[in-house]
Amino acid sequence: MSVIETNKLCKTFEGVVPVKAVDNVDLKIENDEFTAIVGPSGSGKTTLLNIIGGLDRPTSGSVKVNDIELNNLSDNELIKFRLKHIGFVFQSYNLIPVLTARENTEFVMLLQNTTVEERNERVDALLKEVGLEDKVNSRPLELSGGQQQRVAVARALASKPDFVLADEPTANLDSKSAENLLDIMLRLNKEEGITFVFSTHDQRVIDRARRVITLEDGKIISDITQNEN
Amino acid sequence: MIFKVAWRNIWRHKIRSLVVIIALALGLWAGVFSSAFTQGMMNQKIESVIRMEMSHFQIHQPKFRDEFDSKLFIKDGLSIQKIINQEKDVVASSGRIIAMVMLGSANTNGSVKLNGIIPSDEAIVTELDQKVTTGAYFEGVKRNPILISQKIAEKYKVNVKSKVIITLQDINGEITAGAFKVVGIYNTKNGMYDEINVFVRRSDIANLMVAEDNVHEIAVLLNNHDLAEPMATKYQKAYQELEVLPWMDLSTGMRMMIEMMGTYTLIIVGIILIALLFSIINTMLMAVLERVKEIGMLMSIGMSKPKVFFMILIETVCLTFLGAPLGLLFSYGSITYFGHTGIDLGSAAYADMGFSNVIYPSLEFGDYLDVSIMVIIMAIIASIYPAIKALRLNPVEAIRKI
Ligand SMILES: Nc1ncnc2c1ncn2[C@@H]1O[C@H](COP(=O)(O)OP(=O)(O)OP(=O)(O)O)[C@@H](O)[C@H]1O
Ligand SMILES: [Mg+2]
Repeated sequence: MSVIETNKLCKTFEGVVPVKAVDNVDLKIENDEFTAIVGPSGSGKTTLLNIIGGLDRPTSGSVKVNDIELNNLSDNELIKFRLKHIGFVFQSYNLIPVLTARENTEFVMLLQNTTVEERNERVDALLKEVGLEDKVNSRPLELSGGQQQRVAVARALASKPDFVLADEPTANLDSKSAENLLDIMLRLNKEEGITFVFSTHDQRVIDRARRVITLEDGKIISDITQNEN
Repeated sequence: MIFKVAWRNIWRHKIRSLVVIIALALGLWAGVFSSAFTQGMMNQKIESVIRMEMSHFQIHQPKFRDEFDSKLFIKDGLSIQKIINQEKDVVASSGRIIAMVMLGSANTNGSVKLNGIIPSDEAIVTELDQKVTTGAYFEGVKRNPILISQKIAEKYKVNVKSKVIITLQDINGEITAGAFKVVGIYNTKNGMYDEINVFVRRSDIANLMVAEDNVHEIAVLLNNHDLAEPMATKYQKAYQELEVLPWMDLSTGMRMMIEMMGTYTLIIVGIILIALLFSIINTMLMAVLERVKEIGMLMSIGMSKPKVFFMILIETVCLTFLGAPLGLLFSYGSITYFGHTGIDLGSAAYADMGFSNVIYPSLEFGDYLDVSIMVIIMAIIASIYPAIKALRLNPVEAIRKI
């Protein structure tokens, strides 16, 4: 069973000129994958990730996460589903500005009604994992962009998701921070077996992905598994 | 944690939140204090109406209060008074002979209301003896003493020991007159009252009017304001041919004023709260709209709609509850302070209308409670619209803008 499986997935944005943002996408993503979705601007990366993440609904076709058909879930069920199964890292605005790194990470766990002991333990471990053990009490504004994204990764993992979706997580970062974030993601993937699916424009990021899926006009035009490096 | 987020969000825009909090505090303060002021004014008016003018209830012949006709007397009023005095909640009663009479001094003539009283009874019922400023309360003048007000003394240019002539109809309608000597001058500070009332001994005027044991008015003082109506009703039943009325029906407009006062606080505070409601909605709406992305992100990562709703609600309620207790505290402080020292309006105009010119604001505990409940309701109403606005957000669209 694949973690993510799409079947003839289509998404059309109606408008003066309808846009087929996702066009007949068949995709399987397995556990432990570290997959990059690439393609030019407007090729449908964000749209595809949003549908896989249960944030948006396809026009046609199906999307299954761990064999659960997302089309069958109501909006409220989708919210619960996201909370339980998916970790998100967005390009920016990942964090609640008024909460510290620690509180931001803890927040999702609170939404899941995790016990205090487990929260304390996990939050510290996660922030250590992303190298922010000395920044736990800093608020987002006191952190660099790279540090903020690392908190976002910790936050995404806090809910013990089935996989992490990241839409251009490095787009706002300088190359060094991007590199660093990717190191962390790769390590989490290798050591903890966490599945990452992320979109990117950045060639250096693409180079480090194990599988690279290229979109153009909403269609998959290539799907390459490359060597680890 | 939601409380923490809400609390910290309030302080994200310190000035903006402070403006709302201060507006709320000041608005409430203004509303509560002004109703306490009015309430205090009313309480003093009621107190003065009861203590000085009406007592708790009065008995007359049905038409007497309109016509002041000497013939409309209460037959054997003094014995009725004795019966009433045996009631355990009756402090004292005063049987009065009342007549509209001509008062003449060396300088002026004019009509006044003559009250023939038993000085010792009247001293208890209206504390008239306490109001004497010059001369004495029916002491020092043996024959036909008369107590007049400061106002009348000035108007008729008379003083203690001056002689005045009273011309009146006896109870049979015959014109008669008598000479009286000013024994004392009183001042109740109630201009309207002072302008017309003069007092003589009942026995003196009874002789002049051939009134015997009859009186025109029996005023009864009770030990509790709340008993006025039930007692009046009770004696109305006992003396069906007479008219027995509690104080609020004796003084024109009193009943209406009392009933109005009951809702006054609610109306004033209500209006102010409605105005504040809009400023809070406005502020919270701004807070929601500038946080579209953040809220979208929260919904994306799995924060349920009820929790988002609750978060905004808590934030609004927190904001309100910062300002409201402050306003109530100001109110309580200032009402207590001025309730003690009084507010001097510095004008005698109020006194002439029967209001005191030093007002002691007062508010009952129940009114504070009503105001607090209204604030809570207002806070919840204020939070609903911005919270719904937040719920309507589509996370994808909110996120897309990132
Ligand atoms: N809400 C929308 N309404 C209408 N059209 C949309 C909407 N969202 C996306 N599109 C269109 O769908 C297509 C795919 O957009 P999408 O954002 O998925 O591309 P992308 O690959 O993520 O691009 P980028 O690299 O710039 O982020 C684009 O042509 C875009 O204009
Ligand atoms: Mg995109």
